[in-house]
Formats: sequence, C-alpha cells, structure tokens
Amino acid sequence: MPSAGIETGAARPAQSYWNESWERLRANRIGMAAGILIVVLAAIAIAAPLFSALLTHYLPEAINLDETFAKPGLKHLLGSDEIGRDTLTRLIFGARVSLGVAFLTVLLSTTVGTTVGMLAGYYGGWLDDILMRFVDMVLSIPAIFLFILMSILFRPNPVTLAMIVASVGWGAVARLVRGEVLSVKERDFILATRSIGASDARMMLRHLLPNVLPVLIVAASLGVGQIILVEAALDFLGLGIQPPTPSWGNMLTNSQSYFFRSGFLVGFPGIAIFITVLASNLFGNAVRDAFDPRLKSH
Amino acid sequence: MTQALLEVQDLHTVFDTKEGTVKAVDGVSYELYPGETLGIVGESGCGKSVSALSIMRLQRPGRIVSGKVMFKGQDLTKLTEAEMREIRGKEIAMIFQDPMTSLNPVYDVGWQVGEPTRLHNGWDAKKALASAISMLGRVGIPAAASRAEDYPHQFSGGMRQRVMIAMGLTTTPQVLIADEPTTALDVTIQAQILDLLRHVNREFGTATILITHNLGVVAGMCQRVLVMYAGRVVESGPTADVFAHPKHPYTWSLLRSIPRLDAEKHEPLWPIEGIPPSLVDLPAGCSFHPRCAFRIDRCTRDEPALLQVGETQLAACWVTQAGGELKGA
Repeated sequence: MPSAGIETGAARPAQSYWNESWERLRANRIGMAAGILIVVLAAIAIAAPLFSALLTHYLPEAINLDETFAKPGLKHLLGSDEIGRDTLTRLIFGARVSLGVAFLTVLLSTTVGTTVGMLAGYYGGWLDDILMRFVDMVLSIPAIFLFILMSILFRPNPVTLAMIVASVGWGAVARLVRGEVLSVKERDFILATRSIGASDARMMLRHLLPNVLPVLIVAASLGVGQIILVEAALDFLGLGIQPPTPSWGNMLTNSQSYFFRSGFLVGFPGIAIFITVLASNLFGNAVRDAFDPRLKSH
Repeated sequence: MTQALLEVQDLHTVFDTKEGTVKAVDGVSYELYPGETLGIVGESGCGKSVSALSIMRLQRPGRIVSGKVMFKGQDLTKLTEAEMREIRGKEIAMIFQDPMTSLNPVYDVGWQVGEPTRLHNGWDAKKALASAISMLGRVGIPAAASRAEDYPHQFSGGMRQRVMIAMGLTTTPQVLIADEPTTALDVTIQAQILDLLRHVNREFGTATILITHNLGVVAGMCQRVLVMYAGRVVESGPTADVFAHPKHPYTWSLLRSIPRLDAEKHEPLWPIEGIPPSLVDLPAGCSFHPRCAFRIDRCTRDEPALLQVGETQLAACWVTQAGGELKGA
C-alpha cells in the first residue's frame, strides 16, 4: 500500500511519551541542575553520619563551651552556636529531618490523594460526592491550628510530623487527580479498553494511572519545597522537631536570640532552606515543562 | 435459515437527562447470522451506536430498561459484570470511530494489541506480543515487528484503525462490531480499511455489524441492512432489495438525498425536509410523519409495527404495508 511505504521509510527510534519528556527535561539546564542539587542534598542527608565523621569531626549534639559563637573557619567550617555545637554538622543532620519529612509527607499525601481522587473520578456518582465533600472539609480546616493541636497531642518525631502534614496535604492531590481522571476517562481509548474486557481495577491502575502520572510527578516535585517550608515553620514555632535534635527550622528558632551576636547562625539554616525550596520549585517547573511543552511560560 | 449468532430482542436503552428520558434505543430487534456483515444506517443520534454499545453493555450512562440480547444461548443483559467482561474482547470485539483517540497514548502498540490475549487467553507478555506482531502483519502493517514498538502518535489514522482491527481480532471473536470505522478517515484510506474488513470477514468468518451513516459503504459491504430512525428500526432486508425498492419513506428519502453515478445528468438531490425529532418528546404515531411526503391520517395517530412488506423486506410504514407505492414527487 502506498501510504505504508512512506511510513516505514522514516526510520525513527521508538519514542515514547516518557522518553520525549525525559529528553526535554535533560535539555533544561536549570531544571537539571536543581534536580541534581536535590539528589545531592538527599544523598548528604542519608549519609549524614559519614559526613560528620569524615568532614566535620563533630557530633550534631556535642557541646563545647570553649568554642561558642565560632566564626566560620578551619575548626568549624560554618561556625558554631551558643553552646559550641558545629553548625555544618547540625545542618547536615538537619537535612535528614527537613528532607526526610518532606519526602515522606509527599509520599503519604500522594498515595492517599491519588487513591481517593482516582476512586472518586472513576466511579463518580455518590462515591464521588461523599469523597469530594470530605476533601472539601479537609481543605477548609485551617491547617496551622490543626498542626498545633496535633503537635500537642502527638509528640512530633519526623514520622508523626509527616503524617500530621500529610493529613491535610492529600486533599489537594485528590482534587488534582480527580480532575485529571474525569478528563482522561472521557477519552475514547478508555471505552475501547472497556470493550476488550478490562476490569475496573485494570482500567484504573494500568490505563488511567499512567495517564495521570505526569501531573502527579509535577505536584510531588513542587510539593517537596512547600512542605520543607511548612516543616520549618512548625519547627520555628516549636511545634515540630524538638531540640536538641537539629532541624533547619529549629536551628532558626534557636538562633533568633543571637542574631546580632552571630548572623551566621541565622544565615546558614536560612540559606539551606532557601536553596532547597528554590531547587524543588525550579525542578518542579522543569518537569512540568518537560511533560507538556505547551504550558511553558516565557 | 441457519441459527442466528446474536439476537437482539425488543431492546430499550434510555438516558436520563435534565430534559427528560431520552429513548435512544426504543424497541429494536434484529438477528446477526454467522459470517455475515450486517449494516446499520441512520442519521446521527438515531440510536445506532447506542444499540451496538448496549450489546456490549457499554451504554453507560444510559440504561437498558428492557429487552434481551441473546448470544450463544444466554441473555447478555442478565449477565454479571464479571461474566460480561469475559464476553467483551473475547467473543465480541468492537472498533470505534476515531482511531486517533482510541489507543492509549502511554503504551506501545504491540502491548495494546496483545492486551486482549493477556486478559482472556492468559498468555504471558512474550506470547501475546508474538501474536500481536503476527496480527499486525495480517492487517497490513508493514515491518510489524519493529512497528509494534512504536507508540500510537507515530501512526497515521488509517494505520491506527488497522491497529484497532488487529486488537479486535487477536482473540478471534465471533462478532465484530465496527462503529463508524471509516468516518474519521479520508476517502482512499476508507477504501483500504473497508477492504480489510471484507478480508477479515472472509478469512476469519467473523460476523460483522457495521454501523455507518454512509449508504455507499453499506452497499459495498453488507448483505443485509437495517435502517434506524429515532431509536427504532424502520426498515430491514437484503441490501440490494432495500436499495432498489425501499419500503419505508425514510429509506426512500435517504437514497434520494445522495448523488448516484448512474443518475441523469441534471437530476437534483432532494434533502430530507425538517430535522430528526427530539428523542425526549417523540411525535405521536410514526416518528417520521412530520417529515414524510407520503403520510396519511393514520400515521399521526398510530405507531406502525415492523412487518413484512414485499418478499424479503420488513418495513414500519402504514402506507407500504397497505400496498402503497413510494414514487418521487
């Protein structure tokens, strides 16, 4: 057939949507740099004891009253605080808390939100009504008061803190996923898939989920940054991770009284938070542009 | 005559809307015999797609309110959803109007064509892919083995429709429902796809229901034809007879509204006056009477049944049932 000959003539490698998106992401230098930075930070956080042993030679909670308010230098690379704890060591261990809580929160809220949004969008009807009214309720709770209450009820450690933040965060994900599912399920291939005898579970997991995944990945990348901010704010208010365990947020709280003694104590945790959140946002935007070049903002 | 493979009996499918209950399929009956190609024609919105979707119980959000769909001695409308899934894609396959959107964009074509065999025959990925590649070759996709790794957006419309047909055939179903399979394609590709469907019908012995609004397609493809209007069958019979001597004024008007190669040079085309009635509020009597050139008083009062008119045809028309002739004005 004539048309067939033309088509096979063009020898292109098989290009899936994922491959193409990945190529576009790789071409985005800022986005890739931000992504790599997050990976490096995560690696440092995971290997925190290794870093403190090899690089800083301090323990995060080791007090040394002879070396308080040290300036950045060879002894303390980023200085020390009011009771002589090494700032860099504490920042590295703080990354564990900040990034750990952020990743765990995103994982939890994405899992719950996707499940709820998928069920609501796919089945519709009364199930949709019940689930989405519940989501409306969750989203209308003033989060900060809920966090305060929960922090008083449950002594916050990184895991409970993640659960507390995720208990509100999943609502937005559910709404997002439901919206996507509503639009994807009207497309013809869903009817075609039903016509070959696919079950509801198969429709949702094998056919709808991969089509919803791009928005989920974008939401998750942007979410990491937001949650780092929320977590830092909670720590700052004394509702999150409790000293002496270092987190970027409670290092800020601690240092506010010494702002004029040593600006570094405020500066370094602040910079850490700022850079990480910025990287997360840049990476999230890059991922969004990679998945849908039409959305690209100039 | 041989035993019918699929028998639709007095099927009623409705949609509940704000304006009222839409009777999309309003008492439709027909049989499909093994190996034949049955055409269902009618204007947009006459219920031809919904009647086919109802066979597969895919008419959502519509509801089948009454009627039977007999297939292999069981009534499909009574099956559980799980039993119905065993029919879909295994015994009865369906291909759709728009091949551009009927394939999942995130999977390669080989995976998708193999999906019915993985679902119904329990084949592993390797075996399903092998059969998918062989089927892609049989429906005329060149270099099927490498094309199977391509994604839907890398295929043209005609090629995608071939992929859809291949997907429908992997499980060698007994019935293939083709819902306007060529409407979204351009004319030369249409001819290729129709050729392929004819070939499939011969080679696999798959009985085919071909839904279309294109009378030319029916003339070239179908042994028998069903003409639908406002959710009902108004005429049925062997294609040649229906086209040569239509026994329902709607069929007659439809045939007069399309150009013919053998027409006199200046013979005008006659559009059908008026618009199809709202399915929420059908006119009393025969639904076609407001647009009918032959109507008599009775047409506005009583609804005609689908009865034998002439040797081979059935028609739902008071005029022809009483022996009246349909002659052009």
